[in-house]
Amino acid sequence: MNQREREILIEAAASAQRAPVRGALPVHPAWYDLDAAGREEAFEVTRELRLMEAALDPDGQSTTVRAVLSRIRAGAGGR
Amino acid sequence: MTTGAPSSPSGDDLDRYLPAVASGDADAFGAWMAHAERPVRDSLQSFAARVDTESVVQETFLRIWQVAPRVRTDAKPNALLRLALRIGRNLAISETRRLRTAHAYQNRVGVAADASGPQTAGPPDPMLRRVIAGCRERLPAKPAQALGARLDTAGGQADRALADMLGMRTNTFLQNLTRARKLLAACLAEHGVDLRAELG
Repeated sequence: MNQREREILIEAAASAQRAPVRGALPVHPAWYDLDAAGREEAFEVTRELRLMEAALDPDGQSTTVRAVLSRIRAGAGGR
Repeated sequence: MTTGAPSSPSGDDLDRYLPAVASGDADAFGAWMAHAERPVRDSLQSFAARVDTESVVQETFLRIWQVAPRVRTDAKPNALLRLALRIGRNLAISETRRLRTAHAYQNRVGVAADASGPQTAGPPDPMLRRVIAGCRERLPAKPAQALGARLDTAGGQADRALADMLGMRTNTFLQNLTRARKLLAACLAEHGVDLRAELG
């Protein structure tokens, strides 16, 4: 895997999008394709991204927060 | 209840949101999550190579939403956040086992949830918000479009769908996102904002 391919996988894994999986936590396909160092870098990129996203959002909410709220409002919260 | 942008300082008691959250106020839960996300995510750092921590963070928040009506406060602040740290850690351990990558890694799990109390993280300060908004306006068109698509859909669409919407190949879309993120970080640095330092 070259550096460009690695960066693409890290960027993909840093998304807040996770396709629901019945009976298990979803895992982003790009995360599977990264080695340990790449996964740790994806974690750091995600931290940075979420801070930027929160700073750009009028309610201070990152895409993670908004993704969870969207699932709750769609009835996936399970209360 | 309309909560608006959270503006309280870090280190305060997020349990002020608990009554509203317990009664089913999703806006209040959003405000709570905006403060709780960073400590919850950071508590999972030692699992980053073993589990998809983004998935664990989201599942942790969903479970907190489910159990919030039964949570009782105690003498210590941040009962809901302390519970989230425990749930997140347990989920990460379970997921590590599920992915058959357990081994000695569990022994490195931090004890943040059981220590003197978690530190909440305040939302980005107004100065950072102003600077990053200005930096976003300076982004070239394609990186700006890619970033905007991710922000607008907030995890609701796969990158492939976002790329299609913008008429880009998925890899090009992701490269534009990388470019946007790096340009934003460089612009912030020009204005004296060190993101890594902000994150601690």
